[in-house]
Amino acid sequence: MGLASANTSSEGMQLCVFDLRRGQLEGQELDKILFFFPADLPFSTQLSVIGLSEGLITFTRIFSPEAACEVIEAERHSHVFYEAEPDIWMVMVVEKSKGLEVIWRIDALREVLKEVHSLFMMFNGSIRAMLEREPSGGVIRSHLYPFIMDYMSDFLVGKKLQLPSFRDCLTERGTVQMLTVGREAAIEVQSLVRVLESCAGTTPCHSLIFFQDLLVSTTVSPDDTINLFTYAVLRLTPRALSSGASSWSYLRKGSTASHVAAGSTLAQSASVSEHLYRSHDNSPGRDDSYHVKRPLQHDKWAKGKDGFLVTDIWGAEIGSSVTVSPTIWLRQTEERVYLCAYQYKGLTLILLIPVSSILNGEQGVSLVKQQVLENASLKMLKVEEKLSKGWGGENAYHVSGYRYLLVDDDRNISRASPPVKVTTLTKESLLAMNKLREEVDLEKSRAKRNGVDQEKDLEICIRAKNNAWVIAHTTRGKELYMVLEKANETLLYASDAVEKFSNRYCGGTFSLD
Amino acid sequence: MSGKASSSQHTVGFSGSGGLSHVYIQYPPLRCRIPGSRGLYYDDGSKLLLGPTSNQVFSWKTVPFDPHVAPTSDSISEGPILSIRYSLDAKFIAIQRSSQEIQIWHRETGETFSHKCRSESESILGFFWTDCPLCDFVLVKTSGLDLLACDYESKLLDLVETRRLNVSWYVYTHESRLVLLASGMQCKTFTGFQLSSAGIVRLPRFEMAMAKSEANSKPVLAAEDIYIVTVYGRIYCMQIDRVAMLLHSYRFYRDAVVQQGSMPVYSSKIAVSVVDNVLLVHQVDAKVVILYDIFADSRAPISAPLPLLFRGFPRSNTSSSRFSGKDGESAEANISDHEAIIYGDDWTFLVPDLICDVANNFLWKIHLDLEAISASSSEVPSVLEFLQRRKLEANKAKQLCLAITRTVILERRPVSMVARVIDVLVSNYSYSIKTGSYLKGIKVERTSISSGAHVNSPRSSANISASGIDALGKSYEHEPSARVENESLNRSSNISTSDSEDEAHFESLKNTTTSLQKLDRENILGAESASNEAQPSSSQSQHPGLNNNPLNASVSERQELQLASPAISPDEMYSFVFAPVEEEMVGDPSYLVAIIVEFLRSTNLEKIKVHPNLYVLTIQLLARNERYTELTLFIINKVLEPSKEVAMQLLESGRQNFQIRKLGLDMVRHLSLHHDYVVLLVQDGYYLEALRYARKHKVTTVRPSLFLEAALASNDSQLLAAVLRFFSDFIPGFRNTSDHHTYHRILSEMNSAIAT
Repeated sequence: MGLASANTSSEGMQLCVFDLRRGQLEGQELDKILFFFPADLPFSTQLSVIGLSEGLITFTRIFSPEAACEVIEAERHSHVFYEAEPDIWMVMVVEKSKGLEVIWRIDALREVLKEVHSLFMMFNGSIRAMLEREPSGGVIRSHLYPFIMDYMSDFLVGKKLQLPSFRDCLTERGTVQMLTVGREAAIEVQSLVRVLESCAGTTPCHSLIFFQDLLVSTTVSPDDTINLFTYAVLRLTPRALSSGASSWSYLRKGSTASHVAAGSTLAQSASVSEHLYRSHDNSPGRDDSYHVKRPLQHDKWAKGKDGFLVTDIWGAEIGSSVTVSPTIWLRQTEERVYLCAYQYKGLTLILLIPVSSILNGEQGVSLVKQQVLENASLKMLKVEEKLSKGWGGENAYHVSGYRYLLVDDDRNISRASPPVKVTTLTKESLLAMNKLREEVDLEKSRAKRNGVDQEKDLEICIRAKNNAWVIAHTTRGKELYMVLEKANETLLYASDAVEKFSNRYCGGTFSLD
Repeated sequence: MSGKASSSQHTVGFSGSGGLSHVYIQYPPLRCRIPGSRGLYYDDGSKLLLGPTSNQVFSWKTVPFDPHVAPTSDSISEGPILSIRYSLDAKFIAIQRSSQEIQIWHRETGETFSHKCRSESESILGFFWTDCPLCDFVLVKTSGLDLLACDYESKLLDLVETRRLNVSWYVYTHESRLVLLASGMQCKTFTGFQLSSAGIVRLPRFEMAMAKSEANSKPVLAAEDIYIVTVYGRIYCMQIDRVAMLLHSYRFYRDAVVQQGSMPVYSSKIAVSVVDNVLLVHQVDAKVVILYDIFADSRAPISAPLPLLFRGFPRSNTSSSRFSGKDGESAEANISDHEAIIYGDDWTFLVPDLICDVANNFLWKIHLDLEAISASSSEVPSVLEFLQRRKLEANKAKQLCLAITRTVILERRPVSMVARVIDVLVSNYSYSIKTGSYLKGIKVERTSISSGAHVNSPRSSANISASGIDALGKSYEHEPSARVENESLNRSSNISTSDSEDEAHFESLKNTTTSLQKLDRENILGAESASNEAQPSSSQSQHPGLNNNPLNASVSERQELQLASPAISPDEMYSFVFAPVEEEMVGDPSYLVAIIVEFLRSTNLEKIKVHPNLYVLTIQLLARNERYTELTLFIINKVLEPSKEVAMQLLESGRQNFQIRKLGLDMVRHLSLHHDYVVLLVQDGYYLEALRYARKHKVTTVRPSLFLEAALASNDSQLLAAVLRFFSDFIPGFRNTSDHHTYHRILSEMNSAIAT
């Protein structure tokens, strides 16, 4: 049965989604469970996990109605809470063990929950809305299960689920990595964006442009940008499409080969779960013709002849081989849009066409695609040429001597040393950095709770056991984390190093005095 | 600055004047009637229209063209006059008295001397003055060219050099400095010499193509079938092939003559004019004119054949009253039946753009109707290219370009099309900057005039000026076979080598005119006086009122330069296109943003600076639509280049979006506007950061009380103490100021309050 039943349950990772507004009557408790992993756990165990979580939430709400429970640290487990939507909670339970490999940073785990929920919302709309449409909960369960399982398959390395650990302390989930472009290329890109904008006639289209796995341009809100960036890097960019190629992005681990295997095991477990759910799901509205989209399924996107990416995830029109164009929800405008992805060499382009502006469905979409090809092909060629000329490769943002993570909280952008370079750090350094980040996280959430709207400066330099400097520096919405190994022992050296880095790569943000 | 000019722009519309014609002549003409006149002669070297009587020569200046110019007169002795020309320095008058004799007249002293042919077998075909360093005077005879130097002291013309060859007839224009000598049975074999200020260039002998009507008939090429044409500083020869009904064009290079293609003709009588580098082919019998812009290789006409328009004729007698005096009555009478005289038999076309009505003694100047031409084509980018090449009415062309650009944006034409429009304007501006005709025109002119070494550079060719001599007179011709010497057009330019051709065409005709006037008087005029002369000619036309450009110190030069080129600077693009368009445009500004991006792309390619106001406008447009994500990208990627104006606008727009405000703050910091940055930090409540920054960058201009007040307002005694201490250490003598005393007292009160 593979991972789903055997490994993971023993490994002790549990993930559940439940609705506090459901199942409040005796005997109907099962109703509140919307998702549980591993699915083959007895309901009693599932209910006890959820019951504990529910109890804690109710209790902590007495003191803090706005932000209830965030985390429980028990002796052998950590429970990470995330209130995805009002009264809809996601809880991840991870087992603490003596082994080093399972030292987490709680915020990083919470980011995982946040990410999967955001992606789910993008494709399906909110959980609450689905529940309201179909109160029995069958539909939401049948959507959530494959979606989250597909999402988790990206964390599989071999047959093991590998959640973000201390080794990932120099990455930041839920941020976007951007390509640095020169002015000339930026203007060309903007020129292309303007052409794309007007492709669907009077209603302006949104667009995102990627180069390799980096974002070049976006016209949607930061939240939507993050979602689309995540999805693109996971499934759409050239590296995501070509099987076997590994990515340097934190979003994708391992190779697709393992995905295939894992996909099948997870699929098996999905069938198990469906069976399980059906057993206590007596909703009549559930019929087999209802199509459950699995946008995170692997190897479902391919490059078409015209350069547009095609997929059958959204099904095909009845009686024809024409696949249905994907649609997603934009969070900011609450608008449904067609998602058209086009690829030319390293350039990936996502065009978002408001559904309301297309009157005749697929025909209209293909008409817009035609327009894009006619109007923008030349510009795309030019942009690709310009960008690849200025592209420094995977290690373009490596700064020798430094291992760093730079986060811009305002713009949700991060930049970090390439993972290959981070792996050269010793465990001690990484553990120290992980610890430091937890401290900073704590400090940040404290400031947020106290409602201080001023962002405090924070500067911490720690001399780790292995004679490395581990540095955190936050100032006005920007965070810089840095590990300097084999460094000189004076503090002056450390602060000089930060200053140099700041002046050179951050426009002097961290060297104000 | 823009108010007045922009209001005038709106009157320039797409609608031409009637739309029935692209070329017009403007009433009133220059009237050159004098009693006892013995015909009119046009001297293209000195640009004078000459009207000799039995003992006097009246001369009218034709450049600049002023219908009311009064003639000057010189006394000459009686005798037959076959042709007459003033020397280029205007000191001498040369009169051909017979086919053997030229008489030279010194204007100041009235002394004369004669030059005669040596043998009876040769006869004089014509003559002209030249500024070639070898000689002053060129005599064209049936036996060849005599290059002569004028020796006033010994009262004779010294023979410098002789070029022997048989000549049937010749064509010369002063503006090209080119003399073409026809020989052979059919007169279609040509030898050419260019007598430029750089020396004499002999062109390779060449033959012109002539179609045969039937096997045995061989048409003979006549002088009136050949036109030397100077456009964009290049020299062409237009040859009318009456049998094939084609107008062949040949381009002259220093080392070759290349046939360029042919245009059809629709009339047995053809005349060619050049107005502002546009070739006008008058189909005299059909009474229409066809326009060609032979800048590119295309031989397609600019527009359909249309008649020449007669403009400005006063309909009522009252309006004619402004013309005073003696010639009023008769002139009105003649003009009144003007309808009949358009392309009348009495019209003689002078080089490059004049028409002489011999019967009425009128001189007309041909004008292009740029509005009508631009209105006749829907292909906007090519219309703009055409307009950008116009130098004569540069201001009008410029206003038209601006109006057209505004219109295409307001009409929301496709972005790709507007992008091409912008590319045309920007690349032309860039070119005019590079060639110096936009800002540095004056400088170029000076160097080329003052130093002889530069004279043969390609650029100088256009500076050497236009002038023309044409004896008006085919109707005065005595011996049809030989007396064709006088028709010629004239603007100076070197025969360019093929790679230098493009240099010259951007030089303005105004500059040309300037140096022409100089040439008229004194060959070695200094640069100063040359530019001084330029002022009157430029000040009479209106300029758009943009003289606040700080790049140029001298206003008078600026005015002339303004007119020298229709090129549109980015500042003007902002003031006269984007700003007004933004005001008029309603609805979604994303279209305008797209246009601005295209403009930025174009200017970036040409490496031209853009006015910060345009960036400010872009920020306003994006912020108005709450497109902060894009605005951030624009700033981060420096699509909108950092400047204080931009930073301030970001801070302003940042009131709605903190993120944008931060970008503004960062920009202020990057621009090292220390004082502003400190003040802004204080405004945002970052007192300690502000103080640290002030210490690091030694900002002493921010008042301590600003910080002290803020610290006091925070009601935090620690903060107040820190600030107070900081200033005590940072500013020498702060302890003795009233600020210190006041806040020190407050602080001690606060502390004692806490203690109790």
